[in-house]
Amino acid sequence: MSQPILEVIELRKNFYPRRGLFSSLSKEKNARSIPAVDGVSFTLHENETLGLVGESGCGKTTTGKAILKLMSMNSGEIRYRGTDITAYTPEQFRPLRRDIQMIFQDLDAALNPKMRIADILREAIHVREADADAVTVQRQIYDLLDLVNLKKNKLSNYPSELSGGEKRRIGIARVLAVRPKLIVADEPTSALDVSIQAQVINLLRDLQDQFGLSFLFISHDLQLVELMSHRVAVMYLGQIVEMGPAKEIANSPRHPYTSILWSSIVEKRSREIPVTGSASAWGVFDFERPLGGCRFAPRCPVYAERGRPSICTDPANSPTLKVASEGHVVSCHFPL
Amino acid sequence: MSATPLLRIEDLRTYFYSRVKHAFVRSVDGVDLEVMRGETLGIVGESGSGKSVTMLSAMGLVTAAPGVVTGKVTFNDEVPQDLLQGLEARVEIERRDGRIMRVAKDNPSWQKQVERNLAGVRGRKISMIFQNPKMALNPFETVGQQIAESVRLHTKLNSAAEAREKALYWLDQVRIDSPRLRYDNHPFGLSGGMSQRAMIAMALAAEPRMLIADEPTTGLDATIQARIVDLLDDLKNRLGMTMVLISHDIGVISRLSNRIAVMYGGRVMETGPTAQVLDEHAEGHPYTRALLASTPRPENVTATGRLPAIEGEVLDTINVPCGCRFHARCHRINDAVRARCEAVEPELFEIAPGRRIRCWLYAPQ
Amino acid sequence: MKTNFQQDVDTVSEYSQLSAWQSASIGDRVSVGYGLCVVLVVVLSYILGAFGWLPHDPDAMDLETMMAGPFTNGYLLGTDFMGRDILTRLILGIQAYFLPGVLAVIIALGLGSLLGVLAGYWRSRFETSVTYFSNLIDSLPRMVLMLLVIAAFRPNIYTIMVVFGITTAPTIAMLVKGKVMMLRERNFIESAVALGLSSRVIIFKHILWYNCRALLLIQATIGMAEAVLIETSLSYLGFGVQEPTPSWGNMVQAGANYLMQGDFWPSTAPAIAIMLTVLGFHLLGDGLNNIFEGRRNR
Repeated sequence: MSQPILEVIELRKNFYPRRGLFSSLSKEKNARSIPAVDGVSFTLHENETLGLVGESGCGKTTTGKAILKLMSMNSGEIRYRGTDITAYTPEQFRPLRRDIQMIFQDLDAALNPKMRIADILREAIHVREADADAVTVQRQIYDLLDLVNLKKNKLSNYPSELSGGEKRRIGIARVLAVRPKLIVADEPTSALDVSIQAQVINLLRDLQDQFGLSFLFISHDLQLVELMSHRVAVMYLGQIVEMGPAKEIANSPRHPYTSILWSSIVEKRSREIPVTGSASAWGVFDFERPLGGCRFAPRCPVYAERGRPSICTDPANSPTLKVASEGHVVSCHFPL
Repeated sequence: MSATPLLRIEDLRTYFYSRVKHAFVRSVDGVDLEVMRGETLGIVGESGSGKSVTMLSAMGLVTAAPGVVTGKVTFNDEVPQDLLQGLEARVEIERRDGRIMRVAKDNPSWQKQVERNLAGVRGRKISMIFQNPKMALNPFETVGQQIAESVRLHTKLNSAAEAREKALYWLDQVRIDSPRLRYDNHPFGLSGGMSQRAMIAMALAAEPRMLIADEPTTGLDATIQARIVDLLDDLKNRLGMTMVLISHDIGVISRLSNRIAVMYGGRVMETGPTAQVLDEHAEGHPYTRALLASTPRPENVTATGRLPAIEGEVLDTINVPCGCRFHARCHRINDAVRARCEAVEPELFEIAPGRRIRCWLYAPQ
Repeated sequence: MKTNFQQDVDTVSEYSQLSAWQSASIGDRVSVGYGLCVVLVVVLSYILGAFGWLPHDPDAMDLETMMAGPFTNGYLLGTDFMGRDILTRLILGIQAYFLPGVLAVIIALGLGSLLGVLAGYWRSRFETSVTYFSNLIDSLPRMVLMLLVIAAFRPNIYTIMVVFGITTAPTIAMLVKGKVMMLRERNFIESAVALGLSSRVIIFKHILWYNCRALLLIQATIGMAEAVLIETSLSYLGFGVQEPTPSWGNMVQAGANYLMQGDFWPSTAPAIAIMLTVLGFHLLGDGLNNIFEGRRNR
């Protein structure tokens, strides 16, 4: 693998529940904060896709937004091509935005509802080349449409006149207009129909091959992540619990949570013989957020099977990411 | 097997009028469906295929104009009952050159008639659960109270104590842990999966003949989805419930249904037993086959690392093409049938007992 | 014409080519048309008045034709109790509210947009303070505030209109904030930041120009209607423009003294002018609202 394009080191972000007018007077501010991202570290190489997978509320989107400085963070370090960009001001960071782009889950995110498609793309091209002349811009708009397989007659339309798949393509075209190197794709297909989803997935793969893009692919759809990514990181309550090559994560997971995630793919279960009673054996539903020890212990089947060993809940002994095999790390006291 | 179906929908058409586009949106455009006693019918389709609107129309829950235009919905409980009875008299369709130009509806009286038709059926004999349980639950009442209310409204149990006991029984049936504790919780205290369970308990509390589940797992996390599916499967087996399951998720549908109807552009494209419809190697409608092939599964990936996608856009039901609704995206269309595919809409051809396909490739010789 | 679509249902496939005006209802078109005529007449009259191009001398008293009805002796709209030409005074009366009204609207829109953008764009820093400030202003009764200002300074239409502008700002601020929140809801603002646009471009181009211009235009017409009403009612009460300078308010007031004697015209003529003008501005705002906000909103 080549030089890492992005390194994230011990990223932390706390959320504070909405406070009242006078609560700043009280001192228990820190006690009530919720760690949304709690010490996340990973690296992303050139032309690589890293899948970030986890259930809602596990902090995967927050991580993605923190990388783009759309959200502040409490501590941690972010390096882009070896340069520490953590302390960059918004103005310092702005030139870098041409390199690092984001595709949002919301199809309408990229689209000002009152602007025509041509104007939306024109604006994005001007972000990279502020003084491009009209002819160049027009040619580039056509090139972009070709890239994302859209017809030219959509240019005079407003966003509300497009279908979901078309909106997604325009969103991707807008991102490509600034010629990024790294794209954070936050659930890029979750709002789309199955038949359209496959088109977009193919498009993203083609673009990666063509431009050597690196992707941070955030999704809750396990099968999609497995398909799209070279490596996969599994997040649970703000921490990465397992990270490794996509095939290994999917086929021989080491963390009990990863294993449960993959076995709960409804479709897969329907074709294999369902493990009877497994569903109710997974403990309680609600997210419990233990303050110390293994976050997953309250829902963990291994923890229950082994007679609730005290090491799992020991606050002084939280599991850390340990190498399980080459390029595969897992954070569990009793890996599978 | 000539048992009468519990619910039979015939030639249902539901149109909406798009003010922006100055045209009718033909959400449901001539749908025929049957639901047998004790079976689970899965309706699968993409957005805009009309799968939800079909069941909402049958339950009289479509209020926007013009709404249900034609159709017959027979519910055969003890006595057959037409749920859309007398509604056609209240709709006036203005045609010009055979085109529907205007639909005038006496909405208040139409609504009144719907209420009359469905009194005692909706919520009692046919219950529904929806995608967003948080919206359907009243945030100001405890979960238990709401279920108990459903018990008292729809069953003979009248006393508060009995209703409470019954509500607890249903909370237990949907496998909510510590039901006695949850009884007094308000909906905002519950997680997504838990609210969906409470919703199901509320629907079951009426002891309905039939349950309509509209996208019951959409928006939930994978592990919770799996559990809701397990629960529905379990309830189906234990209670012998007749169920209509609406979902875009083929995985959920295949797990729970006995029979599947595939919808596209307001039409049923294919029906049949689950195993046959979803068997990639068996005969089937090109749309269903292509849909199955384009789901992101490792075994679907081609050698070049790509998914076999269906080209084109999902049909918008304003500009409905002549001929088969799928022909523009179809990959199996060939010169032998092309002319027919582009000109005439195929019927649902029966290729085996209980197995129908709306495709010219399967037309009887 | 051969088409590839089923023709059994009325469909218009060229829907996206229709402009907002083409797809507007007849009622909205009439409203906007009438409103635009009123605006045109008001602006023309203002210019006539400003340059003194008037049919008669506004202060010249024709003692032989007092209280004349319309079309008498070359007085198109008759004369008042002092024999002054009513048409001339109506035209001049526009001077009383036009510039002050425009000033009030500019203050209201400017301050409102500023507050709205602050509250919506930099939520964490300004939302609470802007909300408290807006609530504070909203809680003061507008008329009482104006009378207080009149008492403190002196009857001057410009100070009154400044007060009017400031008290209208919170309403506009909340509407602008709503638009910003809508864009924020669909992650548009985050997405624009991520693309690399500066805050200046996002605020002025995307928020104010593209998404708030229709709203601000509509609020401007409603503000003008309000300004006319406020000026006329204060002048009627004697707090606004003072005789002999004509204003529609003091014309109604002066004419009202003669109503009992059966001479209704000198007070009715300015009253009709007020009604037609206010109605015009309101219909314009209403029609524009239906045309611009009803479509392409979502």
